[in-house]
Amino acid sequence: MSRRLLIVEDDAETRDFISKGFSEQGYVVETATSGRDGLYHATDGGFDALILDRMLPEIDGLTLLRSIRAAGISTPVLMLTAMSAVDERVRGLTSGADDYLVKPFSFQELHARIEALLRRPQDQQETQSLTCGDLVMDLERRKATRGTRDLVLTPREFQILEFFLRRKNRVITRTMLLEGIWDYSFDPQTNIVDVHISKLRRELDAPGELPMIQTVRGAGYLLVDKTET
Amino acid sequence: MLRDARTRLICASVTLSVGVAALVLTFVYVAVTSIIEAETRSVVEAELAGLQDDYQRLGVLGLAAAIERRSKSSDRRDAIYLLADSRGRAIAGNLGAWPPNVKPGGGWVELDLIRTDSEKTVPVAAASLRLRDDERLLVGRDASALRRFDRVLFQSAGWALIGALGLSVLTGWLLTRLIFSRIAEISRTADTIVSGDLGRRIPLRGTGDELDQLSLTLNEMLDRISELVDNLRMTTSSLSHDLRSPLTRLRTQLETLENHAGDADERARLTARAVGEVDRLLKIFNNLTEIARAEARISRRDFTKVDLGALVADGVELYAPVAEDKGLTLTAGGQADAVPGHRQLLMQMLSNLLENALRFAPKSSQVDVTLTQNGPFVELSVADQGPGLPDDFVQTATKPFTTVDQSRADGGSGLGLALVAAVARLHDGEVHLSNTHPGLRVTVCLRRADPPDPRVP
Repeated sequence: MSRRLLIVEDDAETRDFISKGFSEQGYVVETATSGRDGLYHATDGGFDALILDRMLPEIDGLTLLRSIRAAGISTPVLMLTAMSAVDERVRGLTSGADDYLVKPFSFQELHARIEALLRRPQDQQETQSLTCGDLVMDLERRKATRGTRDLVLTPREFQILEFFLRRKNRVITRTMLLEGIWDYSFDPQTNIVDVHISKLRRELDAPGELPMIQTVRGAGYLLVDKTET
Repeated sequence: MLRDARTRLICASVTLSVGVAALVLTFVYVAVTSIIEAETRSVVEAELAGLQDDYQRLGVLGLAAAIERRSKSSDRRDAIYLLADSRGRAIAGNLGAWPPNVKPGGGWVELDLIRTDSEKTVPVAAASLRLRDDERLLVGRDASALRRFDRVLFQSAGWALIGALGLSVLTGWLLTRLIFSRIAEISRTADTIVSGDLGRRIPLRGTGDELDQLSLTLNEMLDRISELVDNLRMTTSSLSHDLRSPLTRLRTQLETLENHAGDADERARLTARAVGEVDRLLKIFNNLTEIARAEARISRRDFTKVDLGALVADGVELYAPVAEDKGLTLTAGGQADAVPGHRQLLMQMLSNLLENALRFAPKSSQVDVTLTQNGPFVELSVADQGPGLPDDFVQTATKPFTTVDQSRADGGSGLGLALVAAVARLHDGEVHLSNTHPGLRVTVCLRRADPPDPRVP
């Protein structure tokens, strides 16, 4: 079943760009150009996720979000904002939203975050171990094995791997990792995240084994579990 | 007229001082005259009682003799006596007859009477009695001396008031001249600044008084403003240069892309390069925004207590694999109290410093991050063993768009250290660069929340 997405964005170029991108990914996309229009559509229901621009004509994004929540609609919402990434207020002001993204953004980043939002409920499940193919992670004993091989991981590498295992078959971007693992939203000039991933890969993949974490060009990383999809 | 601040101030000062003087003088006048009057009254009443005793003992003739004796006495020239019979005719004393408007025993009176000894009309203050056989007795004092004293006192008070008025006008004028000439000076300086000369400053008297303090504060404010304007001027010109080059490249790439309709590989390569160019532009833009926000102190709203030790540990942990790949040793040392700060911006700052250090450090050398507590400051320093900076560059390195080698291809935007300096200023601190031969040490001083009490050793 294809997933339904509502995009509320007043800038035509951005709106078309996003909606075309999601349509190509197999989503059913509806768009609204103003806050009022957006509220009308949103209360109609039936959407799996909402993308809201922070600045909208008539009713701004925040008010719209509050109205939607007040109407008892708990659909996941991603807020687009033009505010600076390191600004702590971005988090505060978009509270009530399930995620936020700073403009300008790449479509891959937005897509990855929407996918993450759509699968969020699964994360709530309490599990003692996570698996992906021949990779098994014991969360209680803080140990990971691939096949018969014990992996020697630093606490940080363990944390990164767990982050991936909880988001199998989903693209994870570099900013998602920096925020999710280290809790920083600054803008590094070099790709420090890549270096951490390649270090993790060296431990994860023995020579001759299939690489666990794949690079998605222009977007980020992906942990593929062939048994699941 | 009263709109003029100087006139208003003088008026207020005059009103105040003249009012106070008038109040004091009135008080003195009333006190002095009432003391004199009370003394006169008690003397007169004592005499009246004594004469009544004489009357009781010696009869009307004895009393008359006593009055005659007293009224002729030379040391009582101002004393007035009258003994009259029941119909008001004089028996003894220095008055012609009983004054018709005085009721015997009616208390204290003041009136003008003719003295029989000097034949003059004088003001008299007197008390009277009705005696046993209906004779009447009046004892008083000639009040003309008292009236004279009264007049002199009143006149002196008047002169004193006029003097106070003059003096207060003078001091008011001098005082306002003193203050207003300084204000006029400040206002003149402000006018020249408004007309475009940002270099002008208010001259100081060196007295260290409040007006000097105000001038000093205003001058400091002007220094800060002109520094900001200079920065802005330089940033704008550098910005137009630094944005023009990547934008030109981007334009060229897009035009080339248009002409490569068929070749898919070439198209992909060109697109990737164009996206890279846009990303670079965005980084410049983001950096500039952060610098501007930090300079404008907007980000202070997001201040929390930041554990610098944990922040440095995070930074070192984040960059450790990068250092490892280059064969460098990255260490963290020292510790410090938490500072009030912007966690994300401080991390951005540390990241800029670490990226600089890691980029210029030679193979298998060491990069050290150190925290030290220094009085009211916490010092965070990042030291590498690279080539350091040319000496003439050390001072200007934190200005926007300065890079050692303008043509360096891999080089940064020239905003890294500028952002570090802006973040430091946001935290009431500063940045120091020093060549350590070999290497460069960048030290950021950040103000601690609670400076240590200087009284505690």
